Amino acid sequence: MKGAFNVLYCGVGGQGVVLMANIIGRACASEGIKVISGELHGLSQRSGSVHVHQRMGDDVRSPLIPYGECDVVLALEPIEALRYAYFLKRGGTVVTSTVVIHPPAETSMIVRGEKERYMEYEDVSSALVSSGMIVYGIDPLSIAMEAGEPQAENVVMVGALCALEGSPVSKKAVFSAVADSVPAKTKEVNLRAFDMGYLELSKRLRKL
Amino acid sequence: MSPYDIRDPSAQRAYMMANEAIVRACLESDVKVFASYPGSPTTEILDTFERICNDMDVRMDISANEKVALETAVGAAMVGCRSFCSMKSVGMNVASDALYVMAYTGVRSGCVVLLADDPHAHSSQSEQDGRWYGYNSYLPMLDPSDPQEAYEMVKFAYALSERYGTIVLLRTTTRINHQSAVVGTSEMRWTSFSKVNWKDNRRNYSAVGELARKGKMRLLETIGRIADDTRMTSFNRIEHFDGYALKKGGPGRSDGYTFGIATSGISYQYVLEALMRLKIKARILKIGMINPMPVALISGFLEGIDDLIVVEELSPYLETFIASAAQGSFSGLRIYGKRTGHLSEFSELDVPLVQRAIANVTGAEIPFDHLEHLKSMGSIADGIPMRPPVFCAGCPHRGTFTALRMALGDKGKVYLSNDIGCYTMLVLPPFSWSDSQLCMGSSLGIAAGVDLAAEEDVVSVIGDSTFFHAGLPGLVNAVHNGHDLTLLILDNSVTAMTGQQSHPGTEDAAGGRKGIKIDIEGALRGVGVSDITVIDPFQIRKSIGPMKEALKRSGVRAIISRGECALYHFRRYRRSGARTVPFFIDQEKCRKPYNCIKDFMCPAISLGPDRIPVISPHICVGCGECAQLCGFGSIRSTAVLKGGEDRVYYTPEDYGKLKEATTKSEEVER
Ligand SMILES: Cc1ncc(C[n+]2csc(CCOP(=O)(O)OP(=O)(O)O)c2C)c(N)n1
Repeated sequence: MKGAFNVLYCGVGGQGVVLMANIIGRACASEGIKVISGELHGLSQRSGSVHVHQRMGDDVRSPLIPYGECDVVLALEPIEALRYAYFLKRGGTVVTSTVVIHPPAETSMIVRGEKERYMEYEDVSSALVSSGMIVYGIDPLSIAMEAGEPQAENVVMVGALCALEGSPVSKKAVFSAVADSVPAKTKEVNLRAFDMGYLELSKRLRKL
Repeated sequence: MSPYDIRDPSAQRAYMMANEAIVRACLESDVKVFASYPGSPTTEILDTFERICNDMDVRMDISANEKVALETAVGAAMVGCRSFCSMKSVGMNVASDALYVMAYTGVRSGCVVLLADDPHAHSSQSEQDGRWYGYNSYLPMLDPSDPQEAYEMVKFAYALSERYGTIVLLRTTTRINHQSAVVGTSEMRWTSFSKVNWKDNRRNYSAVGELARKGKMRLLETIGRIADDTRMTSFNRIEHFDGYALKKGGPGRSDGYTFGIATSGISYQYVLEALMRLKIKARILKIGMINPMPVALISGFLEGIDDLIVVEELSPYLETFIASAAQGSFSGLRIYGKRTGHLSEFSELDVPLVQRAIANVTGAEIPFDHLEHLKSMGSIADGIPMRPPVFCAGCPHRGTFTALRMALGDKGKVYLSNDIGCYTMLVLPPFSWSDSQLCMGSSLGIAAGVDLAAEEDVVSVIGDSTFFHAGLPGLVNAVHNGHDLTLLILDNSVTAMTGQQSHPGTEDAAGGRKGIKIDIEGALRGVGVSDITVIDPFQIRKSIGPMKEALKRSGVRAIISRGECALYHFRRYRRSGARTVPFFIDQEKCRKPYNCIKDFMCPAISLGPDRIPVISPHICVGCGECAQLCGFGSIRSTAVLKGGEDRVYYTPEDYGKLKEATTKSEEVER
């Protein structure tokens, strides 16, 4: 694949951000697409902000996406989408969960009178839209619950990513990578979650 | 496609993290002994070995600390068994006392030691530059640029180690260890473990006085021979970037290149991407073996170069050697890098920084300025709430520190000497507490000094893993010298911060092997601490009194706060079939004093309608700590809604009893 396709995955520690990148990485490997990812482990897993850089294409070498070259931010939590939006190119795409997880630090500021109110999804989406980003908000948690397991929300988001124009990896390859990446007993639920996420975003893109 | 299994002898290629590729390379190199102490960014090496050691017959220790780990690996290599040892940058500070001598004595079988630096101190207490350890110990050191090269260097390192009878150091950085990519691997000829015979192969590995001087002579000769060995230079190469693509290059003035870049490690990748964007010509020296430095190659590389930039992270390591190699012969050469301020010794590099530095040297036009983009986008996230890491829901540390604060009344009246572990987060909100917190075990040494010099009482805080790692000498010292201090030991059963590994105080050893649990009370008594108080961190109110009493007494008083790490505890709890029973806030009863939020900051608690706190049932594990802070009794266990008691359910047995008390249809969900 010529050029580069850069995705930044983000969310809150414990949501399964790293697995999202691993699924796409494995799918790329199965299709011979060059892929590299940069992640951080350690302290940031304790309910903190987590992000993984992933880059696909023949020319990529740095595990970090240079600022302004990110094609897609795939966020399991909207505040985190906004936090890392500076990586996006102008007119880049954000696919984000609409379900806000309020940081404990923010809650504490509010009860101390240091802050007026919570940041909500609408604040995030309007900030992104006004900077020229294309934003798709979906509720992966409800979809995952419908699929049968709330923890599958990360796989819902992976499904949504596959519906986007420009993603170099085929839906079929990602589907098998999901099957290979989740515990055997949750495979069925996860594959369902994947399909549902794909469908959800496809509908938005008016493909269906 | 079936998933890649690192144990499969014929597995060919897969997307994997460099840390896994490194383990695969060890297995292909027939490594039989592995010893390590966890530390980011190397922990996945330990975790991967732990996952496969039983199947692959690798003998593995999770050692008490890095020095012991290094000695264990080297001990095995001395008698004739290939071994591997990995540690984070600061781990080498602990281990280096042994390292310098081992460099003198050498080893019989291959021994490779990985040390991983952490520029930007993502998860470390300093961003030290471990490359100087190679230079300082006269040991060969390799510096990979990607996961594939890390894999290849490990295999090469074993050949090198055995050819010269020396330890080989592999130096990585966070961006290598935690990088995933497609790595091609080779056939693995696996052999089962068998003990080696020492008696018939005996040799002497002692170093002192005359023996040390002999060892040093031998070492100088060895490192000299490695420097001259052309087989060793396969990881050092000259390349040409012709403005569009990378080509193989060679030394010499005749290629017409006048701009040069010398680099190694992850910086090499940033250089290439920067050049692709700037579309300028450059002769590149990529150094894979950073000790001994390839002096002859450097000279050849510098031929005909007018301007050279050295691109590396942290200190001017390459730059120093290149500048000295250039002295005299290349007097017209202009060298740019750290010393000229084109790059900083602070933090990590990335493509934008490297692109700008190269543009500044060459005058090349920057097609897209990432740093300008960053500036213009900077305001997009203005006012966004921070999300620093916090103690997990159900973390015992939150309860311990809440109790300690209440026991002291005024937290400012003591010197709080903190240590390294999850409890380091004490320094962050909501507690924002700690007078010092340096490196593993230093809570006790610092406490001794503070006790000698300050009017205030000292409270040292240390985790169970850190207690065994480097706390014991400080404790022995405090007891022997008659210091006054309260030692708060946070016994959460695991090395939590790095992912809940076992340690000397746990029943399991590496790979689930049965270990012998070192009893903390026993250890304390053994070194003369008789004033021991044990508290339950989940019983905040009940812990305050005993803490107060202990704080009032003199001598070395130990308070052991014993409660399992929530991540560790509830993972096993759920596996046993039990479900967590969350607490809830009675919305009618709540008078909004916000004790459950202020100074507490549990990730399960946020504000609901009318600003009444609510507990997220899928985050809450039912530790019940917050309920004890509520003066109105409005925080209760959801068990009461199902006919159970209003108390904490955190053993599978307790949960079983609750289940009996409820009818099937009413079963508490999640
Ligand atoms: C010399 C050194 N080795 C390893 C580390 C990485 N590290 C940081 S905290 C920690 C473990 C702390 O365990 P413990 O004291 O039991 O505290 P817990 O995280 O369980 O609360 C480790 C291994 C380090 N910082 N320094």
